[in-house]
Amino acid sequence: MKKVAVVIKDTKQQYEGLRVSLGALLDNVEIQMFVLNHEIENMDEAYHDNMEFIDEMEGERFSNNSANVEKYGFVHTTLKQAAQRLQAADLVIPF
Amino acid sequence: MKILHLLRSEPDETVEQLIESMTDNEDETTVKPLFKPNMDWSRLVDEIFSHDKVISWW
Amino acid sequence: MSEKLGIMVGTDKHLDYVINLTNAAQAKGKTIEIFFTGFGVHLTQRPEFEQLVGKAKLSVCDVSFRAYGLSGDVPGVGFKDFATQARNAEMMIECDRFIAF
Repeated sequence: MKKVAVVIKDTKQQYEGLRVSLGALLDNVEIQMFVLNHEIENMDEAYHDNMEFIDEMEGERFSNNSANVEKYGFVHTTLKQAAQRLQAADLVIPF
Repeated sequence: MKILHLLRSEPDETVEQLIESMTDNEDETTVKPLFKPNMDWSRLVDEIFSHDKVISWW
Repeated sequence: MSEKLGIMVGTDKHLDYVINLTNAAQAKGKTIEIFFTGFGVHLTQRPEFEQLVGKAKLSVCDVSFRAYGLSGDVPGVGFKDFATQARNAEMMIECDRFIAF
């Protein structure tokens, strides 16, 4: 199974990165999604539902932003730890 | 492992830190800024396929 | 079989990179697939987009295309190439190299 890391830094791409992550998960790709530096700007119903779907499909979510960890259940990561995971991934897709 | 880092634009601190943290002694790392003039795209294609992993940063 | 390059275009900033890379890869006999998604679908409206036709298999995220209020034909993109994220995932799995712009 291919291991793909989706790395989202641009706040305007937060939803698109989530959508691409979910689409890949549904096609049997192993997904680790990283939201870097910023809190999720628009935690609307669509983002929330898709984020829960990621969890149900056993995708992994990481963030170095403490609000994302505390409010939305992302697993905390430092940039350095994130980089180690990116090194282990087959593909890295920055958004 | 050979890793090719492509820079779509001038790297910020996050990109610099990620690339630095991904670089260890066992890896061969190449950094290629795409935004610089006189980019050799033909050579880039060779490099893309001669590296094991390619990341196109922001 | 020729090596396959997958390009996911998720921004509207780098059509020049996409065209230059596609031209160079095609000249070296590579097979190229490009998927336009999110903000990237806006590039389908640019006149330079036509330069990609015949050089790569082009597809567009139908959800993004409609979400941004776009409609009508896109050069080189057939009805079946207005696709879902599954097409993007297939590229991730099948292509020898995958690049995001």
